[in-house]
Amino acid sequence: MKKRILALLLALVMALLLAACSKSDGQPNAPADNPASPAAPADKDDKPASEPSGEKTKLTFMGWGTDAEIATFTTMIEQFENEYQDVEVEYIVVPDNDFDTRLQTMIGAGQCPDVFYINIDWLMKYASTGSLYDLTAYAESNDIFDPDNVWNCLNKVYRYDGEYQGQGNIYAFPKDVSAFPIFYNVDLFKQASVTPPTADDPWDWNDFIEAAKKLTSGEGDSKIYGTGGYSREAAVWSNGTEWVDQETLTQVKITDPAFIEAMQFCADLTLVHGVAPTPEESTALGDYDRFKQGKLAMVGAGTWSLADLWANCDFEWDVMPWPVSPNTGKTEIWFGTAGLAVSAATKNPEAACNLAAYLAYNEDTQRTAYQMGQAIPTLKDMAYGEFVDAGKAPANKQVLFDMMENTARLATQSRTFNQEWFAEFNSNAAAVYEGTMTAEEYCNSVAGTCQQLLDESIALKAEYTID
Amino acid sequence: MKAEKRPAKRGSLRRREAAAGLLFVTPQIIHFFVFFLFPLCLCVYAAFTNWNILSPKQTFVAFRNFQRMFADPKFWIALKNTFYYLIPIPFYMVLSLAFAHYCHTKKPGERTFRVIYYLPYISSIVALTLIWKWLFNSQYGIVNNFLALFGISGPNWLGDPVWTRRMIVFMIAWKMIGITSIYYIAALKNVPVSYYEAARIDGASSWQQFRQITLPLITPTTFYLLLTCLIGSLQTFLEVQLFTEDGGRNYGVASVIYYVWQKAFQSSQMGYACAAALVFGSFIMIVTIIQFVASRKWVYEGE
Repeated sequence: MKKRILALLLALVMALLLAACSKSDGQPNAPADNPASPAAPADKDDKPASEPSGEKTKLTFMGWGTDAEIATFTTMIEQFENEYQDVEVEYIVVPDNDFDTRLQTMIGAGQCPDVFYINIDWLMKYASTGSLYDLTAYAESNDIFDPDNVWNCLNKVYRYDGEYQGQGNIYAFPKDVSAFPIFYNVDLFKQASVTPPTADDPWDWNDFIEAAKKLTSGEGDSKIYGTGGYSREAAVWSNGTEWVDQETLTQVKITDPAFIEAMQFCADLTLVHGVAPTPEESTALGDYDRFKQGKLAMVGAGTWSLADLWANCDFEWDVMPWPVSPNTGKTEIWFGTAGLAVSAATKNPEAACNLAAYLAYNEDTQRTAYQMGQAIPTLKDMAYGEFVDAGKAPANKQVLFDMMENTARLATQSRTFNQEWFAEFNSNAAAVYEGTMTAEEYCNSVAGTCQQLLDESIALKAEYTID
Repeated sequence: MKAEKRPAKRGSLRRREAAAGLLFVTPQIIHFFVFFLFPLCLCVYAAFTNWNILSPKQTFVAFRNFQRMFADPKFWIALKNTFYYLIPIPFYMVLSLAFAHYCHTKKPGERTFRVIYYLPYISSIVALTLIWKWLFNSQYGIVNNFLALFGISGPNWLGDPVWTRRMIVFMIAWKMIGITSIYYIAALKNVPVSYYEAARIDGASSWQQFRQITLPLITPTTFYLLLTCLIGSLQTFLEVQLFTEDGGRNYGVASVIYYVWQKAFQSSQMGYACAAALVFGSFIMIVTIIQFVASRKWVYEGE
């Protein structure tokens, strides 16, 4: 008898388990927590289909982030829910290194969240396979934002026409945008009597080396380095060259003498001039952390670090643009952004689009985002207006705006179908910085493999694109 | 009356027991079919297609995935690294046997040691990795600072793939000693005391006792551990993912499973990943079969 009961119990557990596994998401739960359902959002008539049926539209939203970012987005989602009272958002957080895996699995299982973060590197992969909702029509007719008030670079990055990223239909709105300037320690600059460059009188590479030499001092534990690793993008692009040709994105160009020169310049900061930490020192303590400890005078970093620097630096700091190349007199740098995409399979495209657009462009949410130090506003008038007026560091915000308007562009590897060729290039680049290989030797040694991987990524794009 | 009823009762009892037994194994069988056999078949099929999770487009590509994989130097590097991760197995098995023997003889502090040794096995690998990253930090880590006391300048554990591999090997050994010694303790407890008593009467030294009685009698456990540890080490993945970016410099830390994962999710070539997994899975199976065959020569199976 006992046995039979046990067996029955076991069977019951099994059945429950199976039921839990195959649980379909279709059943809308009764909105128990909000009995006095709103008759309609407090504001005007043109808000989309807010039928006071008493049943809320449910959206799932998946993102990654630090605790600070999660807190910011929780607040921003509350702001959205207050505005659209008939929508309820479930916010799922997944660690960023697990995000892509999880998202693909969810899409494969037909359980895709309605709105989710998308790394700009993956845009083509998801868009070409039909996983993303086409936002073009929505963007043209929406009343949440005006594209003219958005940074120019942001209006283009999330477009894809099946062939090239940066043109065609819109597949995501920006979750954030980050400039990548040089952050510098004002106190160390004053001690070494170095004057930072101005917009009218920029540094070139040689000025930069001179300044870094003055800023480098001490030995052992009290060693202060003039600069962290120099952004290879800034060096290569400013020198008028590229990883991959810009017209067709099919030819690897890393054996171009200008490219090699730029890479050698980055490495020589350590090897010849001794003004930047060695690769080994950088693995022990990253440049950014070294900067925060006051042991590094200049470091390339994204504006996503603002909140961290506000809270954790006991010295004055500011930002400056990347030096120009002495060969071209120009400077270029990348900007960072992640997107908010809507699932092509969403049951509530209207509400999902609203959520993505609201988080990306609404004044209230953008205010929340910049106040919490997550990003610079995506809206230009807000950036030039209250973001500047708020008076927080960095003082020289114009540097950031110049980048957003003029000198910043999307990283090359973000514009190819996958990034394997770029990973291959980076795989042993430290050898150049250690001096075991020259930039020329290194670039020549990896160019063939990079080209092969780039070719494969192009073939892959053709294979996976659905018509 | 009684004599008549008994066979009928026994029959129904047997049937009832059979039904209950079936119920008990059903979960395992369902689990086997749903989570093992079905994915395996799917994997075999997918290995011959260009399947990626996202795209509904899927075509048969015959042996293309296999050709590309065998032509890919990264696959071979990963395979070589994976073999490297097998190195610690004999060492930690010997160590854990020694430790188990120590515990078995009820030495002082045995329980405390057991907890200490077992702790790493039940801790989250993510937390462990973070701790190890600090321990092995080339400038600020305890390990290199300790070495510096003896005038040795420690290596760049996290930056140089050769040393990262060595560190991972240490970590595997450190993590596995706890669980393997638990198995050994159980095995030692099962060796009948009477054998030792008889041996002692015959004047066998304790080493002779260990060599002639203990070792042969625990060979089934040794065999089981060898098998599972080998399979476990061949599937090294998280250490690679957590300690390195893109498998380390020159792919020097990556394992085959890491390679499979990269293909499946980073470049979204699920078909290709299935092909790699299939080849590697078959390899593991062959190794296991060889071990089983060889085991007849050295594993004690009772009289």
